[in-house]
Amino acid sequence: MNHTSDTAAGNGDTFSPQQAAALLDEATWEARRKLVPNPPWVLVTRGVLVLAACGAVWLSVRGQNPYTGPTNADIPILIAFIVLNAALAVGFRRRASAGVRGPSRLRPAEITIATLAWVAAAALLVALAAAGLSYRLYPTTVLIIPGLTWAILMMLRKNWRGVYSGASVAVVGALGLLANPAGAWLVAGVGLCAALSGGAALNAWYQRS
Amino acid sequence: MPDDALDPLIHVPTRLKIVATLAALPDGDTLSFTRLQDMIGLTPGNLIIHLRKLEEADYIASEKTRNGTVSITNVALTGHGRKALNNYTHALRDLLGDHL
Repeated sequence: MNHTSDTAAGNGDTFSPQQAAALLDEATWEARRKLVPNPPWVLVTRGVLVLAACGAVWLSVRGQNPYTGPTNADIPILIAFIVLNAALAVGFRRRASAGVRGPSRLRPAEITIATLAWVAAAALLVALAAAGLSYRLYPTTVLIIPGLTWAILMMLRKNWRGVYSGASVAVVGALGLLANPAGAWLVAGVGLCAALSGGAALNAWYQRS
Repeated sequence: MPDDALDPLIHVPTRLKIVATLAALPDGDTLSFTRLQDMIGLTPGNLIIHLRKLEEADYIASEKTRNGTVSITNVALTGHGRKALNNYTHALRDLLGDHL
């Protein structure tokens, strides 16, 4: 080993095993923290946002008789949540994957499929509405197709944390069918908040494992 | 077990940080030189010195790609490098016992 080069590089002469163990632990945690696309605190924040947004809608519609769905005052809340959630999800994923190349990055085809899943969900709801089954009665069904699609895409990649996130969204969508239309908003808010919090716990465990 | 059982190539603070950072990448992924530099907090010249030592020992592999007119260097831990880090970690564990 060229001791002169290491000294010139400023690494010092003594480096105990205890120091090495501490540095290894810290460097591993730091690297995982910076490379994970969904930091735990971001997932928790998104969970709080979805709970607030869906909870606000539930509070607004729970007294409706007959049920007519979100009011004009609810729509901006939902749009704001959708935009903010997407910005957080995409923004932090981009930041984490900056400079990373390889199989872990989503391929254009996968991004297209995931996007089309949302289009398919919307198209299905429009078709059901045309058949006399208003999507207002089943607001969480929009989550099922995108959730299942994401779970399948992640399963093909053997990304089990990704499978969890997709499957949990689909499950929440399905559970909403068991509630009345107003209650479905509460199911969505609580369910998605719980799913995101679970994802945060998984990511926190991974970073420290 | 004596301290000199620790791989001298890895048992340097900067190189330990480099291999630990690259080990956090999923299998098959590479990290750009600039991103690695940003994550480790080294000057480019300092980082190049250490990357060369690791590459000479086949612990890391680097490749140059072009993005238009810009040349980008990407690095990744090799299988040999991952094994070396695992051996290093086990040696540390043996030296320190339950404290690791």
